[in-house]
Amino acid sequence: MRAATAICGAGTTGVGRFEARTPISLASGAVSLALADAGLSRGSIDGLIVHIGSPRGADYDEVASQLGLRVRFASQTWSHGRFGATVLQHAAMAVSCGLADYVLCLGAYKNSNLGLIGSKKSWGFEESLRYAGGPHGETPHAGFNGPVAASGFAARRYFHKYGQDPEKLAAIPVTFRQHAMLNPQARQRKPMSVEQYLAAPYIVEPLRLPDCSSVVDGAVALIVTSAERARTSRASPTYILGMQGVHAGPDEFIFGQPGLGVAQESVFDYASSGEGQDVYRMAGLKPADIDLLQIYDAFSPLVLLTLERFGFCKPGEAADYVQHGRIGLGGDLPVNTSGGMLSEGHLNGWSQMMEIVRQLRGEAGERQVAAARTAQWGTALGDSIIFGNEDTL
Amino acid sequence: MSPALSHPVFERDFAVDPGDLLPAVTAENTPFWDGLRDGRLLAQICVSCDAPRFPIAPICPRCGDDTVAWRELSGRGTIFSWVRYHRSYLPEFADLLPYVVALVQLDEGPRMFARLIDPPNDPAIGDAVSLIIERWPGGRHVPAFALTGESR
Repeated sequence: MRAATAICGAGTTGVGRFEARTPISLASGAVSLALADAGLSRGSIDGLIVHIGSPRGADYDEVASQLGLRVRFASQTWSHGRFGATVLQHAAMAVSCGLADYVLCLGAYKNSNLGLIGSKKSWGFEESLRYAGGPHGETPHAGFNGPVAASGFAARRYFHKYGQDPEKLAAIPVTFRQHAMLNPQARQRKPMSVEQYLAAPYIVEPLRLPDCSSVVDGAVALIVTSAERARTSRASPTYILGMQGVHAGPDEFIFGQPGLGVAQESVFDYASSGEGQDVYRMAGLKPADIDLLQIYDAFSPLVLLTLERFGFCKPGEAADYVQHGRIGLGGDLPVNTSGGMLSEGHLNGWSQMMEIVRQLRGEAGERQVAAARTAQWGTALGDSIIFGNEDTL
Repeated sequence: MSPALSHPVFERDFAVDPGDLLPAVTAENTPFWDGLRDGRLLAQICVSCDAPRFPIAPICPRCGDDTVAWRELSGRGTIFSWVRYHRSYLPEFADLLPYVVALVQLDEGPRMFARLIDPPNDPAIGDAVSLIIERWPGGRHVPAFALTGESR
């Protein structure tokens, strides 16, 4: 599996508020750029996987019909951010099984016109009425709606369990804002100090406004193919070295940590199996080998949980780990180098995967991590992909 | 059969109809909602584990037993975690801002998200709570909790 597949083309509209554009229009823009980047014609695409469909995105059938793609393998995931990397994983699997040669993977979103996410006017409210709770534990009759509260419940319990000071969270949005200031297309680019963070209003206490990702529109298209075909592409291949999937079960709360006890999770001392996890074994790498990390940071506490999940630090130590520029450009482990969802904008991980492609091609400009050879994507739910370039092989 | 526990009932006023905040009543969850109407907090019991489970599920997620039984819970628990809303996501709760939602650790084992009624200050993890039943327009009853003043 290691380096059997690769991204051979990538394109993005960038992120912003694109009032005049529809999801399909944004998708079309990214797709055209990705095809040009790969040096491929539209007719080469024989697989299509869409992350999120309507109303936020465009469904696979619309994309295929309206963009003139004739595919023999089409798929789409549930309309939540957690499945971004799963789309790439499925594409790699489809290519490896011979079900498609070139799979177009699409993250296209129009979020800015949806209303406050978590309100009844926004999409998906009916999911909150699932009688065992919504996708983030939502319980509307208790006044609990919106994913931010879910992160808040888990964060408060996390700081209690490990005896850590919640104000240490500040380092995360502050660091990612610094990265966003080097990214002309990032949504939030005004400098932010720790003092400004601490003075920011609570949204759902303990989380403040800067702990929440920024709403943006945008699209990213990534074309996945075999490593052999990728080497004939115009663009320098971004190899998929290792993967592991989204974890689920009674001990997995979307923004929690196994053992934390949020919702119905059991309470126990959590220990990550670190480099023993599938993504590292498949890639033949350890956490210490990763040159840069992109984390699903819809809310700042998720960065702590993800660092611990993959064994970059021990459980309870992430709040200290993120201090003193360790996760900044120039630090030991640059994280979310284009600003993350917090400051670049929440594109469900796709702008972060685009940034991985840029970094591994050496095209990240002022944000370039020197000699970047390995880049990892990870979320608090334990899904991950490790990518490499020719220098890694 | 032991006498029913007595939980305070709080008549909740709404400026807008809160009906669409409630999950549908189904054959599976009817005992829970009927229980609240009758002044009781009921939970499903896994007969094999002899443990209550929440939320309502067709089998026990721990052992897979599909025998359905119901048991009345005491309505007592502690604060496991909490958040305070400073911004309104639901118009039905806008008049309560800022308001607290707790993740309550019920004494019998399960946890439940519920409104914490009128805490005087910041709650603390471990504070004891007890059940208050909110009566909503349209005859629905909803679990909420209030601090008892103790800590455990």
